[in-house]
Amino acid sequence: MTDVLLAQPRPPALIPAPPRGGPRRRRVWVAALTCAALLGAGLGYLLFDAIQSNHQYDGARHTLRITRVTTDVVSQELIKARGELRLVTQQVGNDTTALAQDTSQLEGARSALSAAQAHVLEQASLLNSLHACLGGVEQALNALAVGSQAKAAGALQSVSASCAAAVNASG
Amino acid sequence: MATAVAVAGLGVSVWYDAHAHLRANAEESTLKAAQHHLAALRHDKVVTNYANAVTTNRRNDLEASIGTTLNQLAGVEASVSSANAGASLEGVGISTLHTCLGGVQAALSQVSANNNAAAAKDVSAVSGPCALLDGGANAGLVYPFDFPDPDVILVGRTYYAYATNSVAGNIQIIASSDLTHWTAVGNALPSLPAWAKPDNTWAPEVARANGSFFMYYAVEVAATGTQCISVATARSAQGPFVDTSTGPLECQQSLGGSIDPSTFTDTNGVSYLVWKSGGPGSSKVWSEQLNAAGTGIASGASPALLLLPERSWEAGTVEAPDLLRANGHYFLFFSGNDWNSANYGIGVATCTGPLGPCADATPNPILSSGAGIAGPGGESIFTDTSGAYWMAFHSWVPGAVGFPNSRDLYLRRIDLSGALPSVAAPGPG
Repeated sequence: MTDVLLAQPRPPALIPAPPRGGPRRRRVWVAALTCAALLGAGLGYLLFDAIQSNHQYDGARHTLRITRVTTDVVSQELIKARGELRLVTQQVGNDTTALAQDTSQLEGARSALSAAQAHVLEQASLLNSLHACLGGVEQALNALAVGSQAKAAGALQSVSASCAAAVNASG
Repeated sequence: MATAVAVAGLGVSVWYDAHAHLRANAEESTLKAAQHHLAALRHDKVVTNYANAVTTNRRNDLEASIGTTLNQLAGVEASVSSANAGASLEGVGISTLHTCLGGVQAALSQVSANNNAAAAKDVSAVSGPCALLDGGANAGLVYPFDFPDPDVILVGRTYYAYATNSVAGNIQIIASSDLTHWTAVGNALPSLPAWAKPDNTWAPEVARANGSFFMYYAVEVAATGTQCISVATARSAQGPFVDTSTGPLECQQSLGGSIDPSTFTDTNGVSYLVWKSGGPGSSKVWSEQLNAAGTGIASGASPALLLLPERSWEAGTVEAPDLLRANGHYFLFFSGNDWNSANYGIGVATCTGPLGPCADATPNPILSSGAGIAGPGGESIFTDTSGAYWMAFHSWVPGAVGFPNSRDLYLRRIDLSGALPSVAAPGPG
């Protein structure tokens, strides 16, 4: 076999034929290579830009997720704060009503106190008059017991104003 | 072919890049919206929290105001209650005063009509209300009218009290079954002997002997104007006592007269008259044996000096003696100082016998002005149905001291079980 192969004559080596029309062909190659380079650069830029956009997207998405969680928390807090505000506002309303009632009651009690104190003073005056009157009448009795008409009359005279006041106050 | 592939690849790259941009921009927009919403929510929250704080402050202020108002209300309501209670008490006092005054005025009218017995009834009818006005029973007050120099005896289950003259008569007499409620009986000594002058019949003491009652009392001798001691007798404690004497039983005219008689009967049955002579600065307390009948001085007897005013609290006066024997001791009760003042008080002396000698006890006085009483004196000692000792005395009502104010009747338990007597605090038996 080997011999066969060896026996066959070796084909002539493939040597590119020298370009026909030389410079034109070179210009084509240069243009082609330039286009390929531009294409590669454009693709590279596009790829880099797309990657950047994807990173931007991922960052925004991550931030958005955090923002939404924060929003939920703040929303809950806001709902709670509004609930508290509603409750406190209601308490203020109730307290305002209660204060108005208590103030009114206090005014009433103060009026009653003034009236009661006036009554007490009036009665105290009557008591004083009655006491003085009684003392004078009793003194008159005691003076009469020892035959002292003048002293008895004097005792009665000294309390006549008190007795008159007591009679008037008693109606 | 290569060109086509390159163009296609370029187109895909452009599309992919554009899509990535769109997607990133959309996400950025969503993020901005979300952040704006979050900012709005945070602002709302800040506003709400601020409103909450303001409202809470307002609520707290209101609640503080409510608290203050309620406190004021409670204070005012307490004052109203207090004022009403005071008014109510005053109302009771006014009613009591009206009642008492009505009785006293009625008595005065009866006196004007010369009906002293009716006057006594009118007065005793309002004894309860008048006693309340004079301080009630807290200080031992039992009869709130003029009843000076009282003497109490127990007959059966009835107590009789006698006192110096008043509108009720020469010698007042009142009765009680419980020592608390007393009713006027009238005038125990309706008439005086011819030698005596009315209106000055003082300090009676009634003793019971041989089925009769003997009243020793001081009376003014008309001829001399001197106070001396006489005796009247009756068949019952209520009287009427009759004085048939032609002259005083005892009268130390040279010493300024004799008053405040009392009697003492010793365990051997011998009775003595004990009394006071003289006035302020010269007063003396004496004792002298009575005769068996009790209506005269024992034959051969002479006055024995028992006591002189030697203590500063007595201020020159010892009087109203009352001698008794208890647990083997002789006790001489007496009053000292000015009868017409709050300085009057009651003292006690110990004696070796009914004719002395006696010595001031320490501490003295055993009863003086205090809560509800002023210038107590004119005492006498008696026993109740259970045998317990009591002291009857008169006192001014504090704030109304001095004649012609009244000296009311008071009773206090007295303890004679020790070497020296002590007066119990007022209160039930």
